[in-house]
Amino acid sequence: MIEVTQLTKKYGERKAIDNLNFSIQAGSVVGFLGPNGAGKSTTMKILSGYMPATSGVARISDLDVFENPLAVKSMIGYLPEVPPVYEDMYVQDYLRFVAHLKNVSSENIVSYVGEALEKTQLETVKNRWVGNLSKGYKQRVGIAGALVSKPKVLILDEPTVGLDPNQVQEIRSLILNLKGDHTLLISTHILSEVQATCERVIIINEGSIVVQDTLENLTQKNDTPKSYEVEVLRDEDKLKKNLNQLPGVIKITPMSSGFEIHIDSEQLSGEQLSGHIVGSGSGLVGFRAGKSPGLESIFQRLTHRKRRQDKQGASE
Amino acid sequence: MNSMLYIAKRDIKSIVFSPVFLMVSSLCTFLWSFSYIKSLIQFAFNSSAPKVFNSVTVSLHQGVVTGHISLVNMVFIFVVPALTMKLICEEKNRRTYDLLMTSPVSSCQIIMGKYIAGLGASLLLLFISILYPLLSGLISEVNYSLVFSSYLGLTLMTFVYVAIGLLSSSMTRSLLLSVIMGVVFNLGLWFLSQGSTSSDNDVFIAVMEHMSVGDHLFGFVKGTFRWSSFIYFLSLSALFVFLSERVLESSRWR
Ligand SMILES: Nc1ncnc2c1ncn2[C@@H]1O[C@H](COP(=O)(O)OP(=O)(O)O)[C@@H](O)[C@H]1O
Ligand SMILES: [Mg+2]
Repeated sequence: MIEVTQLTKKYGERKAIDNLNFSIQAGSVVGFLGPNGAGKSTTMKILSGYMPATSGVARISDLDVFENPLAVKSMIGYLPEVPPVYEDMYVQDYLRFVAHLKNVSSENIVSYVGEALEKTQLETVKNRWVGNLSKGYKQRVGIAGALVSKPKVLILDEPTVGLDPNQVQEIRSLILNLKGDHTLLISTHILSEVQATCERVIIINEGSIVVQDTLENLTQKNDTPKSYEVEVLRDEDKLKKNLNQLPGVIKITPMSSGFEIHIDSEQLSGEQLSGHIVGSGSGLVGFRAGKSPGLESIFQRLTHRKRRQDKQGASE
Repeated sequence: MNSMLYIAKRDIKSIVFSPVFLMVSSLCTFLWSFSYIKSLIQFAFNSSAPKVFNSVTVSLHQGVVTGHISLVNMVFIFVVPALTMKLICEEKNRRTYDLLMTSPVSSCQIIMGKYIAGLGASLLLLFISILYPLLSGLISEVNYSLVFSSYLGLTLMTFVYVAIGLLSSSMTRSLLLSVIMGVVFNLGLWFLSQGSTSSDNDVFIAVMEHMSVGDHLFGFVKGTFRWSSFIYFLSLSALFVFLSERVLESSRWR
């Protein structure tokens, strides 16, 4: 459905994305994950036909985005970083306008707009000014605009950025509801976002793809936990010293309450570890597998590298 | 084609229902009423005064309407850029530009839609101003064909102002700068074409006379317009609309 080959975009001399290759099958939900400045928006702008690539090809449904811009644009629903909503319009009128722009035929307009309002749960505000809505609602209006023409492909650029946790939850469940009707590409810099909504993930950093795989594969590879969070009632220091000598314990890091033990799961199992702590008589009250590190560690590795470079950049 | 009209419809609503339009149209109405009534009284006073030997009788058209037309034209030089400032500039600021750029519409459709919107709003204002000479028919004798001919000229002039306003709106991200540029272009248009007399070169003078906005417009006001004036105004408008389209299209390629 979406096919990107050797896509490169330069802003001046700087490469924002460098030789990207990926393809997305029809009907799948793909997370486009990367830290800020990785080149997510740039890629999405190219896919949506907003701007051309410096080199390389982007195809949607076998059509080159820049050779057939009009045909491709009518197949795509795109939500940019800032929702492109007219503040001086009513929600309903805005969606009608977008549907007209996207070539929805006049007899379908009413039903398409109705469906978009329903999917995004905007019916209650359909007769209000867009300008008077809260940020979360504006974002929803933006999403409604992206899907009002029932496009085959939906491209959402950081749909939950800047929203409060409840709104984030709402948008996520909205995205989950959209599964199946569209091919979805969602960008985010938040890992849990991908885990909550996507089947596949493409991780991008500094303009290049680091990993692309199904979420399942990435997390299964690291299914056995590599760390445990522990809370005890007494003798914490003694216990730590004791544990440090245990074969298989890599390191112990303090946490806000208790501490985290990182282990080599081939030498030491969780069962053995808990048994050992109970045996020490320190009063074990909390024992929990640490967060599955698979995706997280990959993601952190690349964000760390980025931070280091940012620091270098700042000190220069 | 359809998208163009939807854009036009949206934008004309957005201009006409904005506080700026309300403010501008009430200011204009106030100014025009004041000046029209003033010159009407002056005219009535002059024509009731005892005829001095070999004085020329002045018609209402010459005495009042012509002045009104000049005033309307002058006001439009400043006001049209304020009406058209939002057209593209605001879309860029509000990022709704992204919607237009990623919708299946061509730059040409966008620009034409916006041009029609700007034209619609400006002509609405022009319509208010034609009410003065028309209504003075209630109290005096009005040469309606001259009024309509003058307003035909003003309409064509408005075509040009709106095209210039559209171009200035496409060239900047600041509303204020867009208005200033529009006014400067409009004034420039008048001054450049008026500068003909200050040259020694005969050919230059002849060419400039042909190019003079004033000559063409006052042809309409005096009722002696030529068909070439239509071509003159329409091609000027087309030029600025075309330039706006180029600016928009080139922004796609950055
Ligand atoms: N219009 C632009 N001009 C110059 N550089 C830009 C522009 N837009 C983005 N960039 C740069 O390109 C890189 C990628 O940006 P972007 O695609 O917005 O990243 P992301 O969306 O992943 O945060 C960044 O380093 C950014 O500074
Ligand atoms: Mg971004």
